[in-house]
Amino acid sequence: MKRASIRASLIITIAAVVLGGAIAGLLPSYWVFLATSVLITGVALQSLGLVAGRTGMIALCQMSFAGVGAWTVGYLNLAEAPGGLALWILLGGLAAVPLGVAIGLPALRLRGINLAIITLSFAAAFDVILATMTFPGQTAFIQVPRPALFDSDEGYFIFALIFYVAIAVTLEFLARSRLGASWLAVRHSERAAAAHGVSVAKAKLSAFAISAFIAGISGGLLAGYLGTLVAENFSMMQSLSLYAVAVMTGAHFAEGAIIGGILVVMFPEILRRFDLPQDIGNVLFALGATQALSTGETMSETYRRLLRKLAPKRTAVGSASSEGDLPIRTEHAKGAALTVDKLTVRYGTVLALDGVDLTIPAGSVAGLIGPNGAGKSTFIDAVSGFLAAYEGSIKLGSSPLEGQAAHLRARAGVRRTWQTNRIAPELTVGGYLRLAAGNLSEAEVRAMLEWLDCPNPETPVVAVDAGTRRLLDVAGVVAARPAVILLDEPAAGQSHEETLRLGKRIAEIPARFGSSVLLVEHDMDLVRAACSQVTVLDFGRVIASGPPAVVLDQGAVKRAYLGIEESVAA
Amino acid sequence: MNSFLTPAIAGLAAGGTYALLGVCAVFTYRLVAVVNFTGAAIGSAGTFALIALTESGYPTFPSVIAGILVGAAVGVLIGFIMTRWFAEANSSTKAAVTAALLVGLIAIGLRLTGGQHPRVMPDLFPGSAFRMAGVEVTIASVLTIGLAVLFTVLSDLFLNRTRIGLHLRALSDRPLAAELIGVKVRLLSLLVWGATGAFTTFALMIIAPQRSPNFMTLSLLVVPALAAALVGLFRSFWLTLAGGILLGVVEGLASSVDSISQYRSAIPFLVILAVLLWSQREARWDEAR
Repeated sequence: MKRASIRASLIITIAAVVLGGAIAGLLPSYWVFLATSVLITGVALQSLGLVAGRTGMIALCQMSFAGVGAWTVGYLNLAEAPGGLALWILLGGLAAVPLGVAIGLPALRLRGINLAIITLSFAAAFDVILATMTFPGQTAFIQVPRPALFDSDEGYFIFALIFYVAIAVTLEFLARSRLGASWLAVRHSERAAAAHGVSVAKAKLSAFAISAFIAGISGGLLAGYLGTLVAENFSMMQSLSLYAVAVMTGAHFAEGAIIGGILVVMFPEILRRFDLPQDIGNVLFALGATQALSTGETMSETYRRLLRKLAPKRTAVGSASSEGDLPIRTEHAKGAALTVDKLTVRYGTVLALDGVDLTIPAGSVAGLIGPNGAGKSTFIDAVSGFLAAYEGSIKLGSSPLEGQAAHLRARAGVRRTWQTNRIAPELTVGGYLRLAAGNLSEAEVRAMLEWLDCPNPETPVVAVDAGTRRLLDVAGVVAARPAVILLDEPAAGQSHEETLRLGKRIAEIPARFGSSVLLVEHDMDLVRAACSQVTVLDFGRVIASGPPAVVLDQGAVKRAYLGIEESVAA
Repeated sequence: MNSFLTPAIAGLAAGGTYALLGVCAVFTYRLVAVVNFTGAAIGSAGTFALIALTESGYPTFPSVIAGILVGAAVGVLIGFIMTRWFAEANSSTKAAVTAALLVGLIAIGLRLTGGQHPRVMPDLFPGSAFRMAGVEVTIASVLTIGLAVLFTVLSDLFLNRTRIGLHLRALSDRPLAAELIGVKVRLLSLLVWGATGAFTTFALMIIAPQRSPNFMTLSLLVVPALAAALVGLFRSFWLTLAGGILLGVVEGLASSVDSISQYRSAIPFLVILAVLLWSQREARWDEAR
């Protein structure tokens, strides 16, 4: 992972040095001046790429944050604050952060839409406020001075380039960190993210705050670029069109932000030269964004896909790993790992679970079976904290879980997998494993994946078939080595041989990783192979419980499960 | 007393418009599951068609009809884009699409209507309807509020009492499933878009003379409209109606206080902030299962 980040950062830096050098050294001043504008817009687009591209939220007030940054720089200049422009720009970025948090906080729940509405209304309000209060120094024509070293047009281009590259590299590292993975996970499925112990609110808010910071920096850069500013620079329309561009080009990629910047700056320039009205640009951005949203693929992603086709296929070198590299066993308390007492769940008038008692002894694999609709998944939802309300008590070890949100339960040691695939397709297999299990060494990741027949860590999740993604889901929770693992039909979509192999692996989990397992499954061979104890649910009630050999032979179980009348079965 | 009542009543016309736009937004959301950022822009298109026609000498009444038809047509056009390519998309993507389309609509609108210079907007309903406690209540405010109430009642009846309404509610949840049981999904969605387009156009025609009628300011009336819709939590038509009218009244009051009058456009933001903070109490998961 680190290596991938460093490689990507190197590519960005080298490209920046080569292209930047060429532009500053070869192009006439006017073009360098325009190129600086491209970079500044690119910084603003990067900020948008973080919220819109990575976290999947709609933010329509990025230029207002930029306005805050620019205003701060203007104010610091007027106040003759020490430190010079570079420091002021950073302070301007910081000034935008509390505002971003204040706006983001109330919009955390319903995804996307609330944030879209509140950011749009904030942009509208900010327009009015900015127009009324004017920029510091605007009326007295006091310019924001550039640093002496970067005073010329070429110099300021380099200055802006340094900021752009620094931000791009930082984002590259962030994107591959666990925080970055949590952004993608939240975008794909908030529940799945919470099941990994990710706080959905924290993930969204951190993305929004960092994004406000970067947007503030772009405003500060603009202040040094233009010297004096007017409210028009940060109008709501600018924010809106910037959003369209970000969606169109894929601003969460370093090249996407630059392509977007070029479009924003060069389009009006070209149209002007052809004596065409400049606002046609916005129409094209709107169409481009609509097109990107309908195909689900931004310009950058298209280019990358085409480029991958052209490039010779690299076969990933799978360095051989041994079982000895597996993450080491975590010790958990002896006794009962999970104790569920009289668990009752109602959906309206339907009784989904009716006084269910179940205990998972530490160091064992317990099975939970029953026909469709018996309440097995509801049971897992209740234990892992995804239901609004239930009656009864659930204890992890000796501590009750009531009142704890899903992500806190996950952190406390109750982890689950899902019946449907909820892994963010943008992640790599290794990135997913780290999201699920926290810090693992390269060798541990490889060994873990191999242990469950998953592809190598560099494989993108998109390229993994549905059945293997379920195994990957299992690998994630197992690698986290929590006290309790709840597996929701992990064998669905697996062939018979694969199922048997999976059963063997599941049976090994307690001894090898220290976790206790509850296995929900329809495949009786798997249940027999893996479980030391089985509980049978039917219509929300426990109808049998005990060792698999005994329980699966009971008439009531056969009748409920297989629909066989006792007389026929006997 | 009058120093409060006068500005409050002056805000009624705007309030009625916000309410109507808000109810249209809720209507669109409940029936085709789109948070529509282009709502007011669609209405602006129709309004400017009216302005263009009257400016070139056509009589007012036929121009109003033509304008409403243009608004409905633009609504259907946006609806076509949404149903053709985004019928199965999640609500977040749909909202993103309308936000992007808003950019395009405003750009086209500004281009066709000569930029940000205010145009002469015929005052369709000048004069006052009646006096209340010594304050003139304009025909415009009676009309916008009346229209908003009418649309609220109609929406409520339509959704809860008619078979088509039931179909449309089914459609908003699962278009594909609705189609499979024989609901004419496309046609019904386009009807919704056309109808809301027509209603918003008429509302904007009434309010336009009081605003500086340029395409952008009219299009951005979507902000107070969405604030009103949030008051109704995108569910209740009546709460949305109340929210819209109240928003207009508060704005009217704010404009009478010198120290804050220039910041009155920030009021929708504050309302949205308050509503969101209040409605956050219950935790929710996103729709992705």
